[in-house]
Amino acid sequence: MADSPEEIKKAVKLYIFIGAFLFAFTIITVAVATVPALDFGGRGFDAVDATIGLAIAAFKASLVMLIFMHLNHEKKLVYFVYILGFIFAIFLMVLTGLTLSGDINYGEGDTQKEKTGFYSPPAK
Amino acid sequence: MDIPFTTTARKDTGLYNAKLGIWLFLASEVMLFGGLFSGYVFLRVFADFTWPERALPIIPGLINTFILIGSSVTVVFAWASLKMRKWRQFQIYMAITIVCAGIFMILKTIEYKAKFLHQAVKMKDFVILEGHTHKFTIDSAGHVEEYHPPGHGGHGDDHGSGHGDGGHGEGHSSLASEGLHLIADQKDGHGEESHGDDSHEEHAKSKSDPEYHNRIFFEADTITVSLETFYAPFIAELMAQAAAKDGVEIKVTASQLGRIDPKKAETIVVEEGELLSITDLKKYQAKYLEAKSQNSKVKTAQARDAWARLRKDAKGPARDIKDQLEFDESFEDFLVQYPQTLTYTISPPVLFHLDPRKVDESPERARLLDGTTLGGQLDSKHSAIEMAIDAIDFSDVARRAEDRDRDPLVAIENTWILQNNPEIKKLWDIHSAKVAALDEELLEKHGRDKNGKQKEEATEVERYRMRWQDIINHQVGEDKMGIFSGFAGPNHKADYAKHFPNISVPREEVRHESRFTPRWNNYYAIYFLITGLHGLHVIGGIIVLGYFLFFGKKMYLNNPERMANRVEVGGLFWHFVDLVWIFLFPILYLM
Repeated sequence: MADSPEEIKKAVKLYIFIGAFLFAFTIITVAVATVPALDFGGRGFDAVDATIGLAIAAFKASLVMLIFMHLNHEKKLVYFVYILGFIFAIFLMVLTGLTLSGDINYGEGDTQKEKTGFYSPPAK
Repeated sequence: MDIPFTTTARKDTGLYNAKLGIWLFLASEVMLFGGLFSGYVFLRVFADFTWPERALPIIPGLINTFILIGSSVTVVFAWASLKMRKWRQFQIYMAITIVCAGIFMILKTIEYKAKFLHQAVKMKDFVILEGHTHKFTIDSAGHVEEYHPPGHGGHGDDHGSGHGDGGHGEGHSSLASEGLHLIADQKDGHGEESHGDDSHEEHAKSKSDPEYHNRIFFEADTITVSLETFYAPFIAELMAQAAAKDGVEIKVTASQLGRIDPKKAETIVVEEGELLSITDLKKYQAKYLEAKSQNSKVKTAQARDAWARLRKDAKGPARDIKDQLEFDESFEDFLVQYPQTLTYTISPPVLFHLDPRKVDESPERARLLDGTTLGGQLDSKHSAIEMAIDAIDFSDVARRAEDRDRDPLVAIENTWILQNNPEIKKLWDIHSAKVAALDEELLEKHGRDKNGKQKEEATEVERYRMRWQDIINHQVGEDKMGIFSGFAGPNHKADYAKHFPNISVPREEVRHESRFTPRWNNYYAIYFLITGLHGLHVIGGIIVLGYFLFFGKKMYLNNPERMANRVEVGGLFWHFVDLVWIFLFPILYLM
C-alpha cells in the first residue's frame, strides 16, 4: 500500500480515475436498462439484461474492493477472510435452493408442478 | 503494557489490529447481505404474482449511486490527506463525505415517503390498481367532507363519469345532496395548487380537522368486546368517535351472570344498562382471567386424577389407552363461570370510521384486530376507496386466465374495472390498439421463426400494464411521455394529476389493499428490508466518520499514523456500504 507522500499522491490520481470509471459504468448500466437501442437479449427485461446488469455491478464492486479498499495491496489472509464470507453466503443460498427441489408431493395432478417443476401447497 | 500492532502492521498478516477486526466484521456483513440477496432471488423466482419489474423511479436511485461513489472517493482522499499529514484537507474531504451520506438519507426518505403515500388495491378478479387515495375530513357534526380530486376543477363533465360509474351508480353529486360536501382544498401529498373554487373558502375551517384517507364507515348499534383480548386504545378510539356525536350512550345490552365462588349460585356480574368504560372493562377482564385460570386448574386436576386411576391397571402407550379415561364429574363442582364477551348497545347508532388495516368488515359486522366486533351495517358507499388511478396492471388476470387455457383478453374485458368504468375502458381500448400496432410493427421488422411464432413481440409489461406514462399518453392522444419518463415516479401534482382517472372502488370488490409498504407484497417487503438495513449502515457510517471529523484532532496530534489507520478502517466500512449499493441499485431499480 502507498505509504510515502509521493506514492500517496500517485494513488490519489488513481482514485480519481477509478471514481470516474465507476460513474461511467453507472451510466452504462442505466443506459443498458432503459434505452431500447441498447436492449440486449429479447425485448424488455430478461435473463440477458439481468446478467449484463449484474456483471457490470460485479465489475464495479471489484474495482471498489481492489482499489478503494486496498485489497490489491493486502496479503492472503484478508482475501481468505473476505472470500470465505462470500463462499459461505453462496453456500447458504444453494442450501436454500436445495430445500425447494425436494420431491414432496402435496397432491395428485398439481398443475403448479407441471408448469414450474415445483410443488405448491394445496389451497386452503 | 502496550498493545502491539495498534499502529504498525504485523509482518506475517500485513495487518494492524483494527484492520483485522474490520475485515472479520465485513466478512460477516457479506454473509448478512448475501442472505438477504438470496432471499430476494428466491422470492422473485418463485413469486406467485407478477413481480413488479423496474417498478421504482430511477432518478433517486441513480443520484444516490453517484453520491455514494463520490463519497467513496472523498473518504479515501480524507485518508490520503492524513497520510500526508494535512489535517485541514482531511476535514474538508471528511465533511464532504458526511454531507453526501446525509443527502443519501434525505433522498431515501423522500423515496420512502412517496411509497407510503401510494395506494395499491388488488381486486377480487386480480386486477391491480395503483394511485393516490383522496383525502377527506370529518367535521364536528360528523359529516364527511369529501376531498375534491386535484386538477379536476375545470374537468367536471369529462371526469365526472369516472365517479358516476363507480359500480354502484352513485357519484359525488349524490353525496352532496345528502348533506355531504365537496371540498376543493388540498394541503399536501397530492399537490399545492389552489383551484380558486368557491368551496375553498367555505370549508377553510375544516383545515383544523384531522384528515383521513381510505376509511371504512360502519354504522354500528352494538359493540361486542372480548374480555380476554380487547385492546384499550381501540375501545378508547371507538368511544371518542361515539362521544363526538351528541347524546350517544353505549350501555350493556343485557345483564350477565357469573359465578366466581364455585360454592355459591350464579349472580349478576355485569348489570344491564351499565355504561361502557375502559376501567370497568379492565376490572372485568381481571375477573375473567382469574376465572379462566381457576377452571384450567380444575380441568388439569381432573385429568391428572383420571390418568392416575387409569394407570393403576392399564398398561401401554397413552394413545392406546386414552379412550378408557374416566373423568370424575365431582371436579366440575369447582368450575366457576364468567362471561367471555360483553355486548353493548349503542343508541342512537353511530357511524364509525375505521382504519381498514385494523378491521375485517362484512355487510353486517366489523371485527377489529382485538376481537371487538361492531354489529350494524357497513356504509359501503362511503367505505369505497376513492382514488386517482396512475397505473392498472392486468398481468395477474392474464396469467391466471392462461393457466386455465382461457383467453386472457376476454378475462380482462370481464373484470370489474372495465365493466363498470367507461373512462378506464376507453383507456384500455386505446392501450390494446397500441399493443396490437406494436405487435404488427415488430412482426414486420423481425418476422416469424420457423415454428411460425413471432420472433419479437410486446412484452408482458407492455401488453398488460398501463403505466402512469401510458395513461397520460392515452389521455392526451400522443406520446408525450418518452422513455426517460420512467426516471421519475407518477406525479400527482399540477400537470399530470388531471389525466389520472378518479374512480371509486367498492370495498366488496377488493381482495387486498395497502399502501406501498411491506404489507403490499413480497417485493416491497424485501425492498424495505434490504434498503432499510442499508440505510441503517449509512447512518452508522455517518456516526463513525463524524466522530473522526469532530473528535479526532487530539489523536491526530498525539499519533497521526494511528489516526490515519482509524480513518482507513472507517473508510473500509464506508466502501462496503457503497459496495452493497452498487448491487442494490441495478437489482431493485433496473431489473
